[in-house]
Amino acid sequence: MNKRPDGRNPEDLRPIKIEVGVIQRADGSAYIEWGQNKIYAAVYGPKECLPKHIGNPYRAVVTYNYRMATFSVPERKNPKPGRREIEISKVSGEALERAIFTEKFPNTEIEIDVEVIDSNAGTRVAALTAAAVALADAGIPMRDLISAVGIGKANGQLVVDLNKEEEDAEDAVDIPFAIMPNTEEIVLLQMDGLLTKEEWKILCEMGIKAAKQVYEIQKQALKSKYFVEEL
Amino acid sequence: MNEIIWDLIKDKTIDELKKGIREDGRSLDQYRPIKIEYGITKNADGSASVKLGNTFVLAGVKFGLGEPYPDSPNEGAISVGTELLAMASPSFDVGPPDENAIELARVVDRGIRESKAIDFNSLCIREGELVWIIYLDLYVLNDDGNLFDASALAALSALKNSKFPKMENDKIVLKESTNIPLNLKRLPILNTFTKVEDLLLVDASLKEEKASDGRFSVCVTEDGFMTAFQKGGIGSFKKDEIDRCIDLAFKNAELLRKLL
Amino acid sequence: MRKLVIPGELVSDNSKKAGQHVFVRDGKLYSDCIGLVNESYDSISVIPLEGPYIPNINDIVIGIIEQELFAGYVVNINSFYSGFIPKKNIDFFAKVGDLVSVKIASVNEVNEVDLDSPRILEDGELLEISPVKIPRVIGKEGSMLNILKKGTGCNILVGRNGRIWIKGGDVKLAFRLIKFIESQAHTENLTDRVTKIIEEAKNQSSNVLGE
Repeated sequence: MNKRPDGRNPEDLRPIKIEVGVIQRADGSAYIEWGQNKIYAAVYGPKECLPKHIGNPYRAVVTYNYRMATFSVPERKNPKPGRREIEISKVSGEALERAIFTEKFPNTEIEIDVEVIDSNAGTRVAALTAAAVALADAGIPMRDLISAVGIGKANGQLVVDLNKEEEDAEDAVDIPFAIMPNTEEIVLLQMDGLLTKEEWKILCEMGIKAAKQVYEIQKQALKSKYFVEEL
Repeated sequence: MNEIIWDLIKDKTIDELKKGIREDGRSLDQYRPIKIEYGITKNADGSASVKLGNTFVLAGVKFGLGEPYPDSPNEGAISVGTELLAMASPSFDVGPPDENAIELARVVDRGIRESKAIDFNSLCIREGELVWIIYLDLYVLNDDGNLFDASALAALSALKNSKFPKMENDKIVLKESTNIPLNLKRLPILNTFTKVEDLLLVDASLKEEKASDGRFSVCVTEDGFMTAFQKGGIGSFKKDEIDRCIDLAFKNAELLRKLL
Repeated sequence: MRKLVIPGELVSDNSKKAGQHVFVRDGKLYSDCIGLVNESYDSISVIPLEGPYIPNINDIVIGIIEQELFAGYVVNINSFYSGFIPKKNIDFFAKVGDLVSVKIASVNEVNEVDLDSPRILEDGELLEISPVKIPRVIGKEGSMLNILKKGTGCNILVGRNGRIWIKGGDVKLAFRLIKFIESQAHTENLTDRVTKIIEEAKNQSSNVLGE
């Protein structure tokens, strides 16, 4: 086992800090710092579906907008959302929808907006982690939170929570991964790179363990809005 | 809070303002508490966040390289963009900048550009060929009124926080900074006044904006210049009202400048 | 102290009846929201600390006239959809922006409502708070509301949709007390603390008079 470029052990997460209720006008909101990643998440709804035809008579429609600020990456990003942001928005929204009791709010929309203002690999899992907290803060009925983490491979080693340097490694494999922590159901899973079945088996275990650590931080953040002294 | 409520209590808001009472107890010519934080993101070449009461705006600067305009071959350029994020208000939607965002960006841009705060000549690398372009992007995270002043303040703070990136063979070396700051020769401050009947409010909250007929913004420098005007909204200002705004702008700008 | 839970957190191992905001998984009870566990002799539920107003039959709510149509008024009730009051059912004229109290007569499966017993609310002031905190403003069998009314001399009408209409009396004090209750809704001994604030306010005003 080798130390990683930033001195972490393979199973170590970068420092994570979550604050709840940071966007005053939103129904629920959260801010997350995850390593160098900094992300705001806000929730509006359930609200009337506009335009009406996007509504579903049996459940709420979940809209997730993942966006990156122009200055959040080394080379200035075009302010127009790209294909990457649209894809991430789709899979992340679907992940959250699994946890929400959407059937309680037919014909309505639940809108989740996340904005990445600084980034260093793993923004989509950090955003999803913050969004789940924002949803709970909005009082949206849910089966569970969603806890997310990146897992993968870098420099010949299986690791959790890759940073940018690791993501850029020759043999890098990056797997955005999210679960409902109480049932361990996987709700987000993507991958690109070369990975063996054995490696995945190990990584999945590492991912669940890491996601549960993320969950504890989410839980503390939500509860500390009401009982600071418990911290 | 539901915006329908503000329309409903518009008359009450006006009555209270006439008595000189504002919801948070400040006087008509006073700003809400202001909190500025610098260097909020590492990937930006300069960044800052501004909280003006509950109004919350981020600004980030990225340097780019490009050709100068033919009519100013030895000058760099600045480009200001604004995103009224959907998260900032139940009435904002995702999508390309609308007229409100564009107006906001252009007013902030004018105030800074016209003040010559930035020495555009110093942004020239090779005359007629290569210059620095400053991309300044504003992100509104929460709208509780007076986005203009909050955005302008955030913009200036981010510029003040900016350092040139490293350049090699006419290309920017990503993730490396030179530690050479962008020098600002002036600190232009935007002051927006909201008119409610015949009252002029400094730093209106959203609730107050909902009760207003119009706004007037003026950008002023520390050496007595005005660098931008903008009147917006339905409604009008008399000359003496404009004069009052200008006097107050110079006075308030001095206080705001101290926060930078 | 009641237990604070978040969505998906275990509320109870035993098979008591699941009340509101509790769901069953593998024979155990879990919360579906952030809230406080409330256990009675036969059931267990979670009182949410955040969330929207969900209309229920017989709720009294405060609406705002949003639009006038030929046949009636469209009323904003701070829910997913606006309600409608037919003109044939009422004996008053209203204009856009007027406040009305209405009863929820029925709710369909998509949370659309029919409204009943409309009453126009003249003058007075409106306060909006988080709808899930309304039960604490009312208190057990209306106990908190009685304290508020007595302590402030105000006429107070509490809408289940988070809107509160206040008329006459010490409106400022009423606003302050209700906002206090909203911010402290997750804590205990609220009644005592509210009573104390009212007493302090009274003492202060009598001191001013005494000077």
